[in-house]
Amino acid sequence: MAETIMELKGLKKSIKNKPIIKGLDFTIRSGEVFGFLGPNGAGKTTTIRMMVGLMRMTEGDVIIKGHSIKSNYKEAIKHVGAIVENPEMYPFMSGRKNLVHYSRMMPGITKERIDDVVRLVGLEKRQKDKVSKYSLGMRQRLGIAQALLHNPSVLILDEPTNGLDPSGIREIRAYIRKLAAEEDVAVIVSSHILSEMELMCDRIGIIKNGELISIQSVHDAIEETDEKEILIEAEPLREAEAIIKKKTEGIVTVRGEEVMFTATREELPDIINHLVAGNINIYGVTITRSTLEDKFLDLIGDGAIE
Amino acid sequence: MNNFIRLIKNEQMKMYSQVSTWVMLIVIALFVIGMGVFFKVEGILSEDSAQSGENWEEQLQAENEQMQSEIEEEPGFASMNEDTIAMNQYRLENDIPPDSYDVWDFVQENRGNISIISLITIIVAASIIANEYRWGTIKLLLIRPISRTTILASKYASVLVYAITMLLFLYVLSFLTGSVLFGVASPGEPYLFMKEGEVTEAPIFTHTASQYLLSSVNLLMMATFAFMISTVFRNSALAIGVAIFLMMSGNTIVSFFADKEWAKYILFANTDLNQFFTGSPVISDLTLGFSVTVLLAYLLIFLGLAWGFFTKRDVTNV
Repeated sequence: MAETIMELKGLKKSIKNKPIIKGLDFTIRSGEVFGFLGPNGAGKTTTIRMMVGLMRMTEGDVIIKGHSIKSNYKEAIKHVGAIVENPEMYPFMSGRKNLVHYSRMMPGITKERIDDVVRLVGLEKRQKDKVSKYSLGMRQRLGIAQALLHNPSVLILDEPTNGLDPSGIREIRAYIRKLAAEEDVAVIVSSHILSEMELMCDRIGIIKNGELISIQSVHDAIEETDEKEILIEAEPLREAEAIIKKKTEGIVTVRGEEVMFTATREELPDIINHLVAGNINIYGVTITRSTLEDKFLDLIGDGAIE
Repeated sequence: MNNFIRLIKNEQMKMYSQVSTWVMLIVIALFVIGMGVFFKVEGILSEDSAQSGENWEEQLQAENEQMQSEIEEEPGFASMNEDTIAMNQYRLENDIPPDSYDVWDFVQENRGNISIISLITIIVAASIIANEYRWGTIKLLLIRPISRTTILASKYASVLVYAITMLLFLYVLSFLTGSVLFGVASPGEPYLFMKEGEVTEAPIFTHTASQYLLSSVNLLMMATFAFMISTVFRNSALAIGVAIFLMMSGNTIVSFFADKEWAKYILFANTDLNQFFTGSPVISDLTLGFSVTVLLAYLLIFLGLAWGFFTKRDVTNV
């Protein structure tokens, strides 16, 4: 059963009397990947720094597995593994030594555990190399290895895909999903890129100017929207356009080899049937899920930072 | 405690993984060996060596007579010559022949290199916290189930371990170099010095070892000062600059304010503890107890400031 791992209670932060974080309340459960989405400067990193005790909170509290990070720091932080901003490591030491370094700071981490973690992130072959010779992707993996050493209940990753190439992003995504599914870890991921979050997260909290303006489940977000943008690659194109025009009310345009229009999920099979009946050859149907992005942009406004 | 030792191990691992640490060790080695070879080749010590011989008693008596006559001709020489006369007299009475330049003289000479170790330790002390900020690793360091106080303490302890390692390295290396170049001598060899107008005798090993330790007081204070500045300002260059400037100008500062009532409370008036053991204090109302108290007070202030800033401050990007 999913238990609450982390709870933010009226978290506030003011710097020089200027409110930066204006009261955040939410909970994160085990086995879920929670996305923390917002434009740059919205307060994601500040919030994460408060979650792990790097910054003091002006008001409120963060409870991790029943322990307050404010009053019972050592007990609370035991359950947390994190990368805050970039995965910065000691460049003059090998990846392995970096892990040994952090393993000495937490009780009960065996040599075997370090081996396991290294294997998990796929750094076996390069673990003896100096970190200064690592690519950004390898550093990111080492960062995750460091965060996983002590089997944390909650993993906090600040912009984990920053600077990674597409294959690196896919790998990280796979790790995160696997950790949540298999180890029942609660994962908090921050990002300013929506498409990435959609693929990775179960729930997304949108933060803007230090306020949480919406929390929604990724699945809901896609289901609840009606109109979808649909692209159909068909031949002959003109006849296909004419058939579709009869069936929908929206604008139908031809773009390259494709007809583009909007329709609901329910309408789509009917349209396709008519196309087939009209002897149109269909080579592909693409549904673009840009709706969450629209919603995100609506919520964020112009992305203005106050 | 076990935990604390693991933290110190971490710090030592980081230090010795950096090239600069090894460069510093090599610099010290070059200074010591270079100085030894230079002395040997240039034969600066031949004059000294001539003193020893079968008829050392006659030589010393002759020297004393000559000095006595100098004093009679020119009373200005009195203070300088009287010490030498007293020491020679002591040698004659106790049958201690003046020894030639040997390994122990060389070890004593190398005490001057402690100032190089001071410089290096200041650099290490100023960098040990500031570098974690610079590398960004401070964030990963502080999200462990270890209090910031413990982290700070382990960093400070590591600086001390480093300084002690360097001092031992200097002592042992100068002993080895001296032994090879100038011949081995017994660590029980007597060393004579003037204390409160009396000739005093101590085994040379005890004397050199305690001299090394006493000379390190300044090192300890300035390293702690640099540690504090870099922790407060998170800037190692500033800490190194100010600490080295103060270390260089310390004596000037003291003599500039020497006539003031509060001069004895200046840190640098108290850092030379040697004056209480093998000489007479410069400012007459200073005592060992007073100086140690002042030093401890400064130490506590430095460490208290470092602690206050390190534990209370939000960790943000520099």
